[in-house]
Amino acid sequence: MPGGCIGEEKDVTVVRDIHLNLDKRQILRREGIRQQSSVRPEIMALIDELLVNIDDEHLLEPAWAYEISPISRLDQDQLSLAEDVVLHGPVLTSALSDAEELAVVVGTIGPRLEKQVTDYLGGREPLRGLLLDGIGSAAVDSLAQEACKLIQDEASLRGYQASSPFGPGTTGFPITEQWQLFKLVPAAEIGVRLAASGLMVPRKSVSMVIGLGEQVTARERGEACARCNLSKTCLYRWEANNQHIQA
Amino acid sequence: MSGELTKAIADLEENEALRLIREKLDGGENPQSLLEESRKGMEIVGQRFSEGTYFLPELIFSAEILKEITEIVKPRLTQEVQAERLGKCVIGTVAGDIHDIGKDIVVFMLDVNGFEVHDLGVDVPPQKFVEKITETSAPIVGLSGFLTLAFDSMKETVDAIKAAGLRDKVKIMIGGGQIDEDIRKYAGADAFGQDAMAAVSLAKGWL
Ligand code: B12
Repeated sequence: MPGGCIGEEKDVTVVRDIHLNLDKRQILRREGIRQQSSVRPEIMALIDELLVNIDDEHLLEPAWAYEISPISRLDQDQLSLAEDVVLHGPVLTSALSDAEELAVVVGTIGPRLEKQVTDYLGGREPLRGLLLDGIGSAAVDSLAQEACKLIQDEASLRGYQASSPFGPGTTGFPITEQWQLFKLVPAAEIGVRLAASGLMVPRKSVSMVIGLGEQVTARERGEACARCNLSKTCLYRWEANNQHIQA
Repeated sequence: MSGELTKAIADLEENEALRLIREKLDGGENPQSLLEESRKGMEIVGQRFSEGTYFLPELIFSAEILKEITEIVKPRLTQEVQAERLGKCVIGTVAGDIHDIGKDIVVFMLDVNGFEVHDLGVDVPPQKFVEKITETSAPIVGLSGFLTLAFDSMKETVDAIKAAGLRDKVKIMIGGGQIDEDIRKYAGADAFGQDAMAAVSLAKGWL
């Protein structure tokens, strides 16, 4: 595991030095561009320039922290874990009824990129700000993908399948459940904290739970978008085979 | 030739547009009508955006070009024209929500399109909106919000404006990723906008 360090008592892991895959098409999706052929070359050039800048200025500091807990009980509307952590959300209880364990993950790309976005917007450079913000979101997507893969790989060693990820605040999983997740994961170690609304600071962060078990339905990419209440209208939705972006 | 400036902006030819504007100004053309011509270019960009040939980055790009042009033309305009704004607008992200990118983009677009924008920032309590509306007599209010919890804040903000006796003096638009007609009704706003272009069209429609 790259740069991994296992916590001493609890089975908590913090991972840094994660390689992010900043795929152009995924970046364009996060820029709200749904047809690649029509993108102005100036905009493509600016995205390339920003990508170089991200490297030069070390704007990405990806890290995640996660914990895997046995599920002690599953009721109609709640899922109980170790240490008196109880999660509510209809989507969990229906999709994870076969799960034996739950992986809880909090990840971030750190505060540097969004600080630069704010500077661009404040400095009257909104296009740069908007484009860099989109790249940041694509980076978080990649971070989440990598975390899912790692958990999946680890689970398969034990003969388990890993479910799709579920994030508090998305359809069927209230944002208030963030406080439960943060009881389990030492998010402060990667510099993530919760604001009163349940949102995370830095902004470019993600939290999710993944069900693990022999009978769990395996993850399918894009499922989170399909499940979302904005699945038909969202400008940024993911569609299979990258059909969202016509070459 | 008239129309080439409009076309350069519509086609996002930044260098060409800037070259043309300098050339025309030096040639003694009326700065006010050059600005009009440029704005027409931006309107075409808006249409292309609505049709789906341009996307948000292109829209912002054209607004940046228009901004540059305005800065070049400004010193040549009379004092009155320089200070002339289409109308005032108070905008902010409602209490409890901290999303700012979308709101900032809307602010920029309104500004470039000639509005005097008073941006209250994020996590803005209802009373702050009321104070700013009273202070500026702005007839247009924009509420931004992305979280489900922002829907209640939007409603509370509209209610506070009502309680202050200002409701019939302002038009209120709301926007953010999740906003639709049901939420508009719930919040008691006059309109909702899907994107920054919609914010500009709505505001212009209310002048
Ligand atoms: C990109 C994105 C992310 C990115 C970046 C987030 C960021 N803040 O930087 C990442 C992947 C990191 C992310 C993470 C999360 N996200 Co998110 N995310 C989005 C997404 C897809 C787009 C938001 C965005 O940045 N848009 C780009 C800007 C430019 O567009 P915009 O903000 O919509 O603004 C435009 C219009 O709305 C309009 N507009 C804006 N204001 C106004 C005002 C007026 C008056 C008018 C007329 C128009 C207008 O004009 C703007 C320009 O055209 C939305 C869904 C959506 N379609 O909106 C979810 C969404 C906001 N996220 C959501 C959630 C739940 C989360 C997470 C909590 C998930 C999790 N558990 O990890 C985390 C939270 C992160 C945190 N810090 O706490 C939910 C929130 C739902 C809720 N319960 O309230 C949403 C709505 C998706 C959903 N339905 O599930 N997210």
